[in-house]
Amino acid sequence: MSVADILHPGAAAAGDAAPNADGLKADAALERMKLFGLCSPALLLVVVTMVLPVVWLFYLSFLSDEGTFSLEHYERLTASKAYARIFWTTFKVSILTTIICVAIGYPLAYFLAQLPKRAAALCMITVLLPFWTSLLVRTYAWLVLLQRKGLVNTWAIELGLWDEPIKIVHNLNGTLIGMVHIMLPFLVLPVYGSMKAIDTDFVKAASNLGASPVKAFWKVFFPLSLPGLFAGALIVFVLCLGFFVTPAVLGGGRVIMVSMSITDTIELFFNWGAASALGVVLLVMTLGTLFLASRLLNLDKILGGGGGGGGH
Amino acid sequence: MLKTTKMFALAATAALALGATAGIAVAADLTIASWGGSYQAAQSKAIFQPVAKKLGITIKEESYGGISDVRLQVKAGAVTLDIIDTGSGGGARGGVEGILEPLDYKMIDVSNFVDGTHLPACVGTITFSTVAAYNTDTYKDGGPKTWADFFDTKKFPGKRAYRSKYHGALEPALMADGVPKSEVYKVLDSKEGIDRAINKIRSIKDDIAVWWKSGAQHAQLMKDGEVDMTTGWNGRFDVAIKDGAKTAYNYNDALLDYDCFGIPKGAPNKELAMKFLAEASKPEYQANMPQYITYGPTDKKAYELGIIDDAVAKTLPSHPHNAETQLVVDNGWYAKWEKYASEKYQEMLTE
Amino acid sequence: MSDNLGRGEALPIFIGNVTKTYGKVFALDDVSLDVKQGEFMTLLGPSGSGKTTLLMVLAGFTRPDHGSLKFGDREVIRTPPHKRDVGMVFQNYALFPHMNVAANVGFPLKLRNVSGPELAERVEGALETVQLGGYGERGIDQLSGGQKQRVALARAIVFEPRILLMDEPLSALDKKLREHMQIELRHLHDKLGMTTVYVTHDQREALTMSDRIAVINHGKLMQLDEPRTIYDFPANTFVADFIGESTFVPVSVSGGKVSYDGTALQTATTPDGAGKYNLMMRPERLAFVSGKKPKDVNVFKGTVSELVFQGESFLMYADLSDGTQVAVRGATQKDAMANVPEVGAAVSLGLHKDDTVLIPDTGDLPA
Repeated sequence: MSVADILHPGAAAAGDAAPNADGLKADAALERMKLFGLCSPALLLVVVTMVLPVVWLFYLSFLSDEGTFSLEHYERLTASKAYARIFWTTFKVSILTTIICVAIGYPLAYFLAQLPKRAAALCMITVLLPFWTSLLVRTYAWLVLLQRKGLVNTWAIELGLWDEPIKIVHNLNGTLIGMVHIMLPFLVLPVYGSMKAIDTDFVKAASNLGASPVKAFWKVFFPLSLPGLFAGALIVFVLCLGFFVTPAVLGGGRVIMVSMSITDTIELFFNWGAASALGVVLLVMTLGTLFLASRLLNLDKILGGGGGGGGH
Repeated sequence: MLKTTKMFALAATAALALGATAGIAVAADLTIASWGGSYQAAQSKAIFQPVAKKLGITIKEESYGGISDVRLQVKAGAVTLDIIDTGSGGGARGGVEGILEPLDYKMIDVSNFVDGTHLPACVGTITFSTVAAYNTDTYKDGGPKTWADFFDTKKFPGKRAYRSKYHGALEPALMADGVPKSEVYKVLDSKEGIDRAINKIRSIKDDIAVWWKSGAQHAQLMKDGEVDMTTGWNGRFDVAIKDGAKTAYNYNDALLDYDCFGIPKGAPNKELAMKFLAEASKPEYQANMPQYITYGPTDKKAYELGIIDDAVAKTLPSHPHNAETQLVVDNGWYAKWEKYASEKYQEMLTE
Repeated sequence: MSDNLGRGEALPIFIGNVTKTYGKVFALDDVSLDVKQGEFMTLLGPSGSGKTTLLMVLAGFTRPDHGSLKFGDREVIRTPPHKRDVGMVFQNYALFPHMNVAANVGFPLKLRNVSGPELAERVEGALETVQLGGYGERGIDQLSGGQKQRVALARAIVFEPRILLMDEPLSALDKKLREHMQIELRHLHDKLGMTTVYVTHDQREALTMSDRIAVINHGKLMQLDEPRTIYDFPANTFVADFIGESTFVPVSVSGGKVSYDGTALQTATTPDGAGKYNLMMRPERLAFVSGKKPKDVNVFKGTVSELVFQGESFLMYADLSDGTQVAVRGATQKDAMANVPEVGAAVSLGLHKDDTVLIPDTGDLPA
């Protein structure tokens, strides 16, 4: 027996210096294959339901009415001033909705995050309640409340707040009210999550080091809650870009967003190519927004970390 | 609201009855698709079932999503529908695109039809009108009588609603701008004419509070008092008035439009479908419709059969007395100017 | 911001009758405690004892029901945390993850309107104090546990507070690093001279570092003394049991005479009066006795029941004649091991009279 045999018992039996290496490697490969096999139905579903339609959309948008390759649908978008205005309206409404959601949702989430667990859960239910009712019902409820002879105007006039009915629906105001109501939970949830993930010691440390409550909030708590705020704002903004029902019902026909234009193009003019082109441009703009956001902010952290904030 | 509920109940009962018959039949001889709801329930009782009985055939009724469904079936080469009910615009477009079979007007008698209510590939079955309705509380001393009144915001101040699409929107504007009824489509047959109509709408844009999208919407707007006047479809206002809405309208210079029956290209039972339409287009069947729903027949003779109640007849869009004051919608113009008109209209809307 | 607090000499702390209840539970039950100027005081107790609550009262994060708290001669019980000017090291360091090391350490200085070269200088100075010079630009998540600990310390001392609070600052470190840091923290304290209040549940850490230890249990102060006194002469069963290892042997006391199992014992202190007492035996203070009984040593006879090798020491369990089991700890040096009897053998154990400490039996003898 040599010294090597003593140090590596079994090596002599296997006949080489790395026993079972091939077998172990094969096992690892097999395991990866099995894992992939488990995922494949889901992957297939994603490809069939999400990737293929988008590819089809692209294909249609470059197809002329005669079935040949053409840019005519895109040319149409640039030729008419209406489309630029529709895209502008879409972004304007989305940005305004996001800003209002942040202005209302952030303090709301902060309030919830300060509440004891049980009270916070109860309040959270009221925030989430809109999730469980039909979007149409909520939207029409706003119509009933806000219209010329609706509850808000009637009561305000009775209370003497104003004399003539004011226009709060069938315009941008009404659209924003309805959309903020629907989008608010999408902002509050991630912000609340990221606030809850902030170790209370951070704020304590700040105040121990001499920061007043206001300074501790702005210098420590707020920056740490930003990932959640960005995530929420981004979700709201992107969802707004594709919104249809609320602006259609509460906008009174004067708030025309891209999704509504797409519907018209198909329902009224049966023009799949033109509708696809609109969809493609909206998709590209949405992706562009996400790309910009990822450049300006650390998107991985936002989407991956949910609402990280915690340093450990 | 109550009326609507009753209507739904009626429709539901009818649908149940239909389901029962369809269950017995092994294979139907014809498949007919329409818009569903109270409209199709009325059609079924007034036209479909009696015609099927007369011809001794069985039919299957379906509801569908409009001419785009037909296009899909034809393009896919899997046509299951024999007869479809569509708006006149869809009927005209379907004929031009070749997804509807040309109809044999040697078999179908349209000699007494209101002028312009049949197309090469689609034969009219009911008529409706785009009218101006106003709130009788707001205008106690009488509301707008003409399109000129509707567009006169000094004489008739108040909030207006107008259609969010160019369909049925340009003709009233031109008439308000002084173009006689008979000249409307002639003037509109040019970019300048279309621009003229749109500019007229643009001039009262500040007074248009809502751009409506559906019949249900413009009826509700009047009922809620959200606007003081609106354009819209007469049948919807009739329902609103029955529900107590303070609303009135007249047929003066209104736009007469219609729904029509067509046969999809490659329909499984084309010959039989043609026979069915020849029978269904007879005035005695059309005259049954107003019992169930306030739409007028396309065949003027239907008024002479004594089937339609006199009081009701006078309120229907195609009643000779009403028809003569109206402008029949020209689907040829719509097919020709769709692109230009819709884009200009959208530009005006988004300004 | 700071009138009589802030930079300057260390301040003594006077805690008077502080009580804090949560519902019916006393987190702090009428605690009075003075910390001397420049003293390293450790609050020691098991989890839930109230030691952290007391520290939080000092920092201002917990509002007591009543009581008095003075830093020097200034009453601060109602002063909000950000106006107390005490440095604090948190258990998890609480380093701001969105700031780099320099920004973390500079944070309290900026709030005190220090800026420019002075800020940079003082930050670097504090980092050098904790041996992290040049680490300013590092991100927090690039630091090891030990480095985080040092940064937290630098941040707590950079504004030269006159009082420093530490909440189990070493608990997240591994054993070797922890022991090293204990010495280093103590040296740092000696160098900076701040009055330090240190919370830990680790009795060895407390013994290593402190000038004095306040043992706390159930919100009450159990004993306040120097480490040696606490270890050698625990005031009660809780302290005796919580700090170090010990076996309790019931003894009888009458007329100032102490006896166990009929044999009179020599004791370090004579109990005053009657009452029930336990003899506290520290395993490492027991020695094997062979032959004649040495002077000033009490001898206990028993049988070896178990022997455990633990590396640097061995642990032997022996049953005394009345059935009480005592533990004996000894060094594993070769010569010493030669004398260790085998399991089942009879053994005589000697306890010097100075190590023969009696603890009043308060009925809460640990099982």
